[in-house]
Parts: sequence; C-alpha cells; structure tokens
Amino acid sequence: MHHLVIDRWSRGSSSLHQRDPRAKLAALLVFLIVLSTTRPAAQWAFAAYAIMLIIAVHSARLPILGLAGRAALVLPFSATFALLTWWSGDTLRALALAEKSFLSGMAALLLVATTPLTGWTAALESWRAPRMLILVIQFVYRYLFVIAEQAQRMRWAAVCRGSHKTGGFRLATGLVGVLFARSWQRADGIYHAMLARGFRGRFVPAAPAPFRAADALFFSACLAGCLAVRILL
Amino acid sequence: MHIPDGFLSTPVWATLDVVSAPAVAWVARRAQRDTQDHRIPLLGVMGAFVFAAQMVNFPVGPGTSGHLVGGALLTVVLGPAAASLVLTAILVLQALIFQDGGVLALGANVFNMALAGVAAAYLSYRLWGQASRSGAIFAAGALSVMTSACLALGQLLISGVPMTGGVFWASLGLFVVSALMEGAITVGAVRAIERLNPAWVAGPQPASSRTVAGVALAALLLVVLGTLIASVAPDGIQRLTGQGVDSTSWPQRTMGGLAGIAMIFALCYLGGKLKSRRRSA
Repeated sequence: MHHLVIDRWSRGSSSLHQRDPRAKLAALLVFLIVLSTTRPAAQWAFAAYAIMLIIAVHSARLPILGLAGRAALVLPFSATFALLTWWSGDTLRALALAEKSFLSGMAALLLVATTPLTGWTAALESWRAPRMLILVIQFVYRYLFVIAEQAQRMRWAAVCRGSHKTGGFRLATGLVGVLFARSWQRADGIYHAMLARGFRGRFVPAAPAPFRAADALFFSACLAGCLAVRILL
Repeated sequence: MHIPDGFLSTPVWATLDVVSAPAVAWVARRAQRDTQDHRIPLLGVMGAFVFAAQMVNFPVGPGTSGHLVGGALLTVVLGPAAASLVLTAILVLQALIFQDGGVLALGANVFNMALAGVAAAYLSYRLWGQASRSGAIFAAGALSVMTSACLALGQLLISGVPMTGGVFWASLGLFVVSALMEGAITVGAVRAIERLNPAWVAGPQPASSRTVAGVALAALLLVVLGTLIASVAPDGIQRLTGQGVDSTSWPQRTMGGLAGIAMIFALCYLGGKLKSRRRSA
C-alpha cells in the first residue's frame, strides 16, 4: 500500500512519458469522446481502439497485463449491466457497453501511468481549472496513503484487543472519530511545517516545459488515428 | 454509485459536463473566499480522511455492514462549499487513478455527489438543525445518498441502459437501505467527533431563512423525483401532445427545453418583482 504502482510507472523515461501533459490530456479526451460516440454495431472499430492502446502501452514500456488488470476493476459494474442488456436481447449493445467502459478505463490509466500527478494537475491548471481545486487534489493524493495506513493500523489494533467479539457500531464510530481527530491535528502540523518553509498562500510551480513540435505531432497523430477509425470502420 | 464511461449517452454526459464545470468554478471561488490559509491543508487532509474512513466497516443490523460515504459528514464539518470542493477532488482522483467512475462521466458524478448530494445534506441540516440536531444530521446523510443514487439511476435510464421493472425496484430498495445506513453512520461519527472536541463541528446556522431552505430542499427533491419519473416514462409528453416528439433531433429538443426554462424563469422573476413592489408601496 506504501507506494501506488502507478507512481512508479509514471516516472518512466519513454517517449510517451516525455510528451507534454497537455498534449496527453487532450489526446485522452479526443479518444474518450470518439469511443463514446462509436455505434455498437461497429465492432471492428473497438478492436482498432484496443490495438491503438496496446501500441501506446508498448511504446511506453509498461506491463500490458498489469494495466489491463487495473482497468478490469470497472468490469463487475459494467458486466452486470451488460448481462441485463444481453437478457433484453441486445447482444451488440451489451458487448459495446463492456468494451467501452474497459477501453475508457485503460486510456485514463495510460495517462496517469505516463504522467506524474504534478504533470496532469499542471495541465489542468493551465486550462484554467480552479487553483483551489488543484491544491485540494494534490493534498488529497499526498495524504491518501498516510491516512489510509493509519486507519489500517487502528483497525488491527482494535482487532488485537478483541473488537471482533465486543465491537459494534459504537466501536466503528469511535474509530472514525479518532481518525478524524488525528487527521485534523495532522493538518495543523502540515500547515505549520509549510509556514516554517516560507509558504505564503500559494505554491510556486516549476517553470512549465515548453510545448514542443513533438507534442503537437503526437496530438495530431492521436486525433487523426481516432477520427480515421471512427469514420472508416 | 460512480458511473463509468460508456454508460451515459452523449447528450447526457455532455450536458452534465457543461453544467458541472462552471458550478465547480463557483464552488471553488466560494470556498476560497471562506477559507483562511491554514484551512487549505485541512481540506486536503479531510479528503484523504474520507477515503480512509470508507475502509472502516460498520455493523448495521445482523449480518450486514456498511461504510461511511462521507458527503454529509464533510458538509456538517466544513460547510457546503468546501465539502463540494473536497468531494470533487476525490472524484477526479477516483476517475483517473482508481478507475472508479469515468472521465467523460465526471461531470455527471460531480453533479450527483459533489453538487446535488452536498446541497441535499446542507439544506436538510439547515432546515432541521435547530429543531433536532441528530435528526437533522440523520436526514442530511440519508437524503444526500438518496439524491445522488436516484440521480445516477435516472441518468442511466435516460441514456437508454435497459432495466427491467424488478431490477429498478430492487435498486431503489437498495438505495433506501444504504441511505438509512449513511444517516445512522453520519450521526454516530459526528457524535464521536464532538465527544473529542465540540469546536470541530460547526453548529447549524441560525434559522433566519428556514422557508428558503425548505423551498430549496423541496425543489431539489422534486427534481430528483422528476428525473426518475421522466426516465421511467419518457413518452409522457408524447402521450400528452398525441404526436411523436422523437422525430426531432436532440439539439432541437434541448433548445425547446431551455426555452421553456427561460420562460418559467422570466415569469417567476416578473412575479417576484411585482410582489416586492407591492410590498414596498
């Protein structure tokens, strides 16, 4: 639980990792929109999208099975609805439902597996997303695992003291209350540490990398590929 | 209930993205105005807390257990604007990193949970907070979950995801159960937090405008109910007019709907003006 495997993936050095986060985010949106508007009958198009993703994963030197496994987290939900659709007699639509949700998840995963969090949040900020939202996203991500680990330790401690025999609703609310108190105190500590390091109300981001010709080329290639598949197949 | 990509039809996700983006910008501006510097790390850590608190299982009745969803708890502790912002941040991270909810469907998920869900929690806390605090917190938890879930179900149905009557009623029943659980868990958690430090939970604001809160809550619940009814029986208007509306394309229908809303808004605005003029005269 210590470090998310995505964090390790995102620090790679392939050509896909080096592309500007803005180009990758825009390419992701194009891919998702094209995928979402593809007709269920165009089954070959879905195969083409999958091949595009596989090529991208390969060029980023990421483990395809690891990515697919994580993207498959969406399948229990979509498989339920796909089954319902299949029972109602619409096989193509049922297939498309599962394919669309899986490929979308895979594409989003590819973005975060080739771009560190600071990269895609900087891209969002350059597109005028509210600064406050960006700050909160960065803080949530930074402390997510710290606090989750604390919760895990508290749960084990409760089990060690026999919570499975006596524990109940009151014990669980107590756990949440103490977790809340510790989180609140941690936030205070963080703020004071930030002040001690010269925080004056905003973070100064590193100078953004310039948008290179290679980034523009990458985006155009993605756009052309997606549109070609969507129109031709 | 996080909607993944591929479920919502294009008009539905596009409309909700267009609605949610400016709403989140507005919420962020409000949160920034109300927040002192030292609360910025607090908002982030509270988001991480909600993530972690969802891991704690609550035994609810024999053999069943639930977990905190957290929208109402955040609303009670941080206030509506900050709670909305924190939930939006959580949804963005869940969509991109945890494959929980889609990227194009982010607008829909933000609308259901971070905007409508928080609004339901805030309005119920404000409306009933003076009368019975625990009751108000229970209602805030239950109504926020119910609102989010019913809106998500309505959006799926409007998008044409087929659902038999049995499944529809079963999911409604499931929603009621989880809404009641969320209410009970939120009350328990708020009480536990208050035992440790009462200053952490803001009291409900003075009920200067209880009517406004009541009307707003009623309007919100009507919208939720309307969405559900419209998604189950989309041909109601056709039956009324006796002609096929489906022959027109969706931009035309959308424009028709928007024009209708504008007309109703204009009528209400004129009515309000007349009333206030009569009162001042």
